[in-house]
Amino acid sequence: MTFLAELAINGALVGLMYALVASGIVLVYKSSGVVNLAQGGFVMAGAYLVWAYIARLGLGLIPGILAAAASMGALGWLTERLALRRMIGQPVIMILMLTFGLEVVLRGAVPGALGADTKPMPIPISQAPVWLGDILINRTYILGGAVAVVMVALLAVFFRTRAGIAMRAVSDDHLAAWAVGIPVERTVALSWAVSGAVAAVTGVLWGAVQGVDWSLSLLLIKALSVAVLGGLDSLSGVVLAGLIVGVFESVISGYVDPFVGGGTREVVAAVVIFLTVLIRPYGLFGREVIERV
Amino acid sequence: MTDTVARAHEAGKTFANPGVSGAGQAARPAPLLAVHNVEVIYDKVFLAIKGVSLEVPEGAIVALLGSNGAGKSTTLKAISGLLGPERGQVTKGTVRWRGQDITRLSPPARVRLGIAQVLEGRRVFEHLTPEENLIAASTPIGNARRVRELVQMVYDYFPRLYERRNAKAGYLSGGEQQMLAIGRALMAEPRLLLLDEPSLGLAPVLVEEIFRIVQRINQEQGVSVLLVEQNARAALDVASYGYLMEDGRVRMDGPAEVLKANPDIQEFYLGGGAGRTSYRDVKHYRRRKRWLA
Ligand SMILES: Nc1ncnc2c1ncn2[C@@H]1O[C@H](COP(=O)(O)OP(=O)(O)OP(=O)(O)O)[C@@H](O)[C@H]1O
Ligand SMILES: [Mg+2]
Repeated sequence: MTFLAELAINGALVGLMYALVASGIVLVYKSSGVVNLAQGGFVMAGAYLVWAYIARLGLGLIPGILAAAASMGALGWLTERLALRRMIGQPVIMILMLTFGLEVVLRGAVPGALGADTKPMPIPISQAPVWLGDILINRTYILGGAVAVVMVALLAVFFRTRAGIAMRAVSDDHLAAWAVGIPVERTVALSWAVSGAVAAVTGVLWGAVQGVDWSLSLLLIKALSVAVLGGLDSLSGVVLAGLIVGVFESVISGYVDPFVGGGTREVVAAVVIFLTVLIRPYGLFGREVIERV
Repeated sequence: MTDTVARAHEAGKTFANPGVSGAGQAARPAPLLAVHNVEVIYDKVFLAIKGVSLEVPEGAIVALLGSNGAGKSTTLKAISGLLGPERGQVTKGTVRWRGQDITRLSPPARVRLGIAQVLEGRRVFEHLTPEENLIAASTPIGNARRVRELVQMVYDYFPRLYERRNAKAGYLSGGEQQMLAIGRALMAEPRLLLLDEPSLGLAPVLVEEIFRIVQRINQEQGVSVLLVEQNARAALDVASYGYLMEDGRVRMDGPAEVLKANPDIQEFYLGGGAGRTSYRDVKHYRRRKRWLA
């Protein structure tokens, strides 16, 4: 029982951190209907930048994170300005290929420029575990889960502000948004910028968990399965989906891995995508298509 | 051209610009909106309107009539700047706002000048509540208190929207959605409202109610209106002046009273002919025979 609880709690915390990666995808999807397949690369680049600003340039912890968030915000904004805006009206598959191309470029270029070996994320978290009764909890996960909850809550608040409501309006109907004076292009660019900044913060957390190297970009798969299960455009959906994926993969791999020699974690995420697409293509909380006559 | 048409045209010239009285041609101030000889091409090949000219004087309600595909919506989009997202382009002519050339201005810039369009088919932000629809459209307004006042003003004009302010807009009735679309356009404090077929698909009582409110908005807020309609009777009842489009051109214009009295207009657009009372018959007839073809 203790073992199960331990797996479930740690899994839930990891799941919240998946939800944070996925929230970057949700943010862009909500404003422009584009699934950003470069989100994994964004997280990796964000982690590298935090490491570089702190370990190479000697910035403090907070200034380093802020600088990385600003840089990643700029990268997100530039991605929209330079690449996606030209793609307006192109088939969805072209746009998906473009973002995936960016993912591949980031995977190659960032480790190439800053070093491919795994680096420790230079933030002071004690490795000593936390005991909850008999249950052992990873301290980094606690921090990560807490930060994820705060970030997602902030995003939820943002979507209730005027700028956030305008962003949701843009995702509903571009032409109608233009017609009432919403600067659609700027709004979409803003969503990319915010998503880049969120990726930087996410990169800090995941960098602290598994070190900084190219493999951070593999979070794309987890984030996609969480986003798809959550419904792609719902923040609460993403949190719930994150918890589900996190708990399932932790519990299942905890019990099954010893028999099969590991690797079930990755399978769980893939199975989640399959099952969601087959059973509930709009995800748990995806917005239904409203049809009237 | 038949005699009656020519007569109406003459009359139109004499009575044009009802907002200006007595002033000589030279001293005439620029009208609120002046569309001059505008040509629009879609997708670089399809010529949709071919040299359309019309004017809306300050404070007036002007009707723009015509059957399907005549180019009414295209004309409105040339005025509001929404052709870009539709792959259309103004290739000739000018759109002037109080004398200033705005032909190439971005849609949000035109909204800030005071031009708001209510799109054909209402196009509310379906996944937002009516209240959020209004707030999303308040982007051009800087002051938060003013936004609340404007929301209140919209609720005063459309009490039904207040009752349903927290439902999803996609689930409102057609009439409620039309009210929301008009209310949403009012959030930018426009001086000119471009209404594209507000009567589409609504029961006659509802059409009457909505047109009455539009008239009140015109009188109480001093908002000028350019009203596109196929329902010529309803439109000419509230408008002071009317234009009739056919096949991408303005075929006839004149004071509403003159147009209503015109036998050809009666036959085609008011369903006047003897024994023809059902709307369906009128529509069928209209499709078969083309105006002045
Ligand atoms: N986005 C577009 N791309 C290509 N052609 C278009 C586009 N929009 C309109 N057209 C064409 O331009 C012409 C004028 O269309 P428009 O929508 O302006 O007519 P309308 O008078 O508003 O008709 P309706 O009463 O049916 O709304 C039509 O032949 C239409 O097919
Ligand atoms: Mg139309």
